[in-house]
Amino acid sequence: MLIGIDVGGTTTDAVLIRNGEVYNTAKVPTEPANLLKSLLNALDKVSREVPPEQFERVVFSTTVITNLIAEGKTDRVALLLVPGPGVNPASYTFPGSFYLKGAMDYRGREIQPLDEAEVRETVSLIREQGFFSAAIVSKFGQRNPSHELRIEEILMELHPGCKVKLGHKVSGKLNFPRRVATSMLASATGERYQQFVEEIKKAMEERNIRAPVYILKADGGTLPIEKSVEFPVETIFSGPAASTIGALALTPEGQTSVVVDIGGTTTDLALILSGKPLIGSKGAKLGNFLTHARAFAVRSIAVGGDSIVRVRETDSGIRMVTIGPERAGPSYCMGGEEPTPTDALKVLGLIDIGDPERAKEAVASIAVCLGKSETETASRIVDMTAEMIEKAVREMFLEWEQEPAYRIWEVLQKKKERPENVVGIGGGAKGLISVVAEKLSAKPIIPEYSEVGNAIGAAVARPTLTLNLRIDTQQKVYSVAEEGEVVSLNSTNIGNFNKMRSEEAETLAAKLLGERADRFGISEYADEAEIANSEVFNVVEGWFTAGRIFDISMQIPAGLINEWKRREKA
Amino acid sequence: MKLGLGKIKDALKGGAEKNTGMEKEKGEKEKNQKKGKENYRIENSGRYPENGAKNHAEIDAENNEETEPERLEEVTMKIKTSEQQSEDKPRNESKCESKHESKHESKRESKQELVNEPVNGLLNGLVKETMVPANQTGTRKTGLIFFPAFDWAISPTHPEREERLLYTRDQIFEEGLMDLPQIAEYKPRLADYRDIARVHFCVPDIKAQATTPHLIAAGSCLVLADALMRGEVKNAFALVRPPGHHAMTVAHGNRGFCNINNEAILVEYLRKKYGIRRIAIVDTDVHHGDGTQEIFYNDPDVLFISFHQDGRTLYPGSGFMNELGGPKALGRTINIPLPPGTPDEGILYVLGALVLPILEDFKPELVLNSAGQDNHYTDPLANMRFSAQGYAKLNEKLAPDMAVLEGGYAIQSALPYVNTGIILAMAGLDYSCVKEPDFKPGMFVQAARDRQILEEVIATQLENWKNRDRLVETEIAKHGDFYRRKKQIFYDTDMIQEFQEETVRMCPDCQGYVTIDSHAHRSINDTRIFGVSIPIYACDRCQAEAGEEYRKRLNSPEYEYVYLQDKKADEYREYNMRTKQEISY
Repeated sequence: MLIGIDVGGTTTDAVLIRNGEVYNTAKVPTEPANLLKSLLNALDKVSREVPPEQFERVVFSTTVITNLIAEGKTDRVALLLVPGPGVNPASYTFPGSFYLKGAMDYRGREIQPLDEAEVRETVSLIREQGFFSAAIVSKFGQRNPSHELRIEEILMELHPGCKVKLGHKVSGKLNFPRRVATSMLASATGERYQQFVEEIKKAMEERNIRAPVYILKADGGTLPIEKSVEFPVETIFSGPAASTIGALALTPEGQTSVVVDIGGTTTDLALILSGKPLIGSKGAKLGNFLTHARAFAVRSIAVGGDSIVRVRETDSGIRMVTIGPERAGPSYCMGGEEPTPTDALKVLGLIDIGDPERAKEAVASIAVCLGKSETETASRIVDMTAEMIEKAVREMFLEWEQEPAYRIWEVLQKKKERPENVVGIGGGAKGLISVVAEKLSAKPIIPEYSEVGNAIGAAVARPTLTLNLRIDTQQKVYSVAEEGEVVSLNSTNIGNFNKMRSEEAETLAAKLLGERADRFGISEYADEAEIANSEVFNVVEGWFTAGRIFDISMQIPAGLINEWKRREKA
Repeated sequence: MKLGLGKIKDALKGGAEKNTGMEKEKGEKEKNQKKGKENYRIENSGRYPENGAKNHAEIDAENNEETEPERLEEVTMKIKTSEQQSEDKPRNESKCESKHESKHESKRESKQELVNEPVNGLLNGLVKETMVPANQTGTRKTGLIFFPAFDWAISPTHPEREERLLYTRDQIFEEGLMDLPQIAEYKPRLADYRDIARVHFCVPDIKAQATTPHLIAAGSCLVLADALMRGEVKNAFALVRPPGHHAMTVAHGNRGFCNINNEAILVEYLRKKYGIRRIAIVDTDVHHGDGTQEIFYNDPDVLFISFHQDGRTLYPGSGFMNELGGPKALGRTINIPLPPGTPDEGILYVLGALVLPILEDFKPELVLNSAGQDNHYTDPLANMRFSAQGYAKLNEKLAPDMAVLEGGYAIQSALPYVNTGIILAMAGLDYSCVKEPDFKPGMFVQAARDRQILEEVIATQLENWKNRDRLVETEIAKHGDFYRRKKQIFYDTDMIQEFQEETVRMCPDCQGYVTIDSHAHRSINDTRIFGVSIPIYACDRCQAEAGEEYRKRLNSPEYEYVYLQDKKADEYREYNMRTKQEISY
């Protein structure tokens, strides 16, 4: 049996899946101050009467990191940065930054050595200022981490109690400011996240649950909970990822869909293109910080079922309906204070819940201002809400089409897909889905169990894994961005490096991915890995080929575990 | 096996030493450092006040709410105003002095006289067909297209290969430049064949000369032109390859790594689509921008300024001061040959004392930088001493509306830093920390002798500029209805020798149509073509006469292909003599 639990902003949803079918579901309110309690409540409720030894797998998607950051429950982090030449570091706005001399170039060659005396002084200063968390990030540290490693040695020597994250271990991708932000957030949340994981483990033991426990990442993949401690930032935004995987599980294979999760205040959108959830080309934004965290391309718009509907008069005296962005508790028909799109949906008979009389009353208050009938007004409100969602969907597709391209084939690639389905997940404002679908000329799908689609997504998501291999045959080294090690090519069985071909490089990538999958305990998925990009550059110096640079990206993309029996459950 | 810290250092250090040693012989650099540093004052430190785009913006700012026809009228009026100004220029009699002797006999046609610039009665009609540039005052962003064409090379070890912008990619991505709120990244697109046909006679056809990467590089410029004209960005940088500034009107093959001319395609697109008339191109590549010069040689509306390493010491061996433009466009081509070894100081001196004052006087609506990066002190193909800081300053002072990458082949030691510097400078950001690993301020000093050469060049070209209208008048008096010149063009990449006769109609009402009779010798194949080009602002009579020239040649069996390039009607034809087929683009 599979258990999936999604801790959302207002409710925590859980499902229990047996033989590829939903067996039981549960919904409990989320207590923001105690996410662990909400999570365990949902777990207990959904797994009642089932002996724990029958559980095969438990997956959580949780906002714990997002909450920690939003609530400022983070540790102060000293940033030891080695920026080298380029953008003036004075323009960065990271708190607690200490800039150090030293520089690497784009191929990891040392341009300027560290000034060890300066490092020692800075570390002493950090200690005096009472920092117990630090992040060490150097520009091009992923190409040569020796400066980061040396600073770490000095830090450990002079300030042994300090917890530290190294930039090249946090992310091997290009983009120094994002690496700084990601390392900083990882360092700031690391300890509390570790506590959270310990508590979960304890709670599992108390319940005699021996099944492996996973955390859902923002890219829709599962990560063993022990491993997640190394990558806390990867777990941000796992909510939208859960909904997207849920929609994937509940819709026909290979189709293009837009996933619409209409909540009270906001609506979350995600895209599934020909059966593959769209990953954002850059990392996620968390608060004010752009990070390297791989995440689905999701968009959140400030309109939901409980958004306040108002009438505003323009300067020229025209009365206009506005929707949101504020929310004042539930809809009027659910006992709230203000008219909302949900009330309009009720008046039109598009939803079952709510008090019809109160809904009518709410819509009438708007209709009076406009001098129109209640039905007309309700239609207008629903139409406007759907239009806002439709516009955001179109913008998402346009943005995807307009993503920069750096290769000829990427420019030639025709990106002209349009949604076949509009999939409603989350159960909020269901009646809107068909209106949005009509505007997009797509088929509305509200799957069975759509109200716990997010929990289903968590339950059936498979692990994801990426591997970015870079080989520089002139320098006779290779590095895996995700591993943060620069390794000699002599350790491989490749004979003549300078005659190395793409096939050999790709074989090495596949082997390394297999090893990495082993370490993550997900070797059964290693065969699912695909090459996302493979490039070779001749390094020519003085008119002769001096070596080759290979850039190979492999990934186990987001998808569903084999146990899930997929079919259209609309 | 994992390497220890020390081993990683050793492994990487070896490569670094090897690399710096290979890319440039250092010894040469020290030679000229003994001379004292001369200070110079930039005559015109205030920059030329506004370019045309900004003028539009100012005009439009007041009329934001107005309807389309009224806006069009504003544009028309503005163009007329700028023409009146140019007519009012002083007309002092003066001879232009040729300081350098050209190696190419055929290019000797200076010392000319002036004529009034053509005032086109059809301007209203033309402007109405086009789109109006949008207000640009609201935006602070710099548009950027980075198209490194990681899957294209001329040949595996050619300087124009996949690797060229690899380290630039690493640097600008690692810096996070694409995330900056001041930068807007755009996606490239393919240019249409029409966009190419508006500039070139491609032999045997466009497909053969403009392959997919060429179409993308040119198309990227057009995407940014649209973004600029729509007011989405304040300026833009097309960081694209392959380059284009050596490609001339007739394209038989690749010369100087170029097949089609990105800047020229951009200029004609801006004129056709947005009704822009006066454009200045400043070519900052180390090589003379002979292709761009040739394309606009007879066009008084396009000011072409190129500074480059003296043509006696570097490909393509042209770009001397006596190349001043065709009879009706004399003085609108300004060449600034620089002594080898010229450092930041010298180039910035020329910029401040010559380029900026001329731009201020010409009052272009747009300024384009044909931005080569091979003036760099480590470039393997040239001998100049420009630095990343120098390039950033140059772009800050020049403030081009658009920059388009040209050459630059010190792909490790220069390009990552130069491009970071240019992007930051164009975006108005702090570039003071951008520097090459081995650069030390003051390492290159301008030689006193070279400084004197620069002073003479500046004096001569300022004089030419001042007297341009009189030069045109004198020269026109020398010619009858037609002006002819013969040219030899060598395609170094494709080993083609081309012989051309270019004929310009000396029309009293417009700049006159041009015909080109071109004969290309390859190893065994000879190709002869005939092309007719009608300028965008041509008069009706020239348009009709040119059409007749085209039709006449359709029965001349000595030509394999005959071309009609009617920029006024935006119609482009190519006739294949063998198959008797005419293609329209």
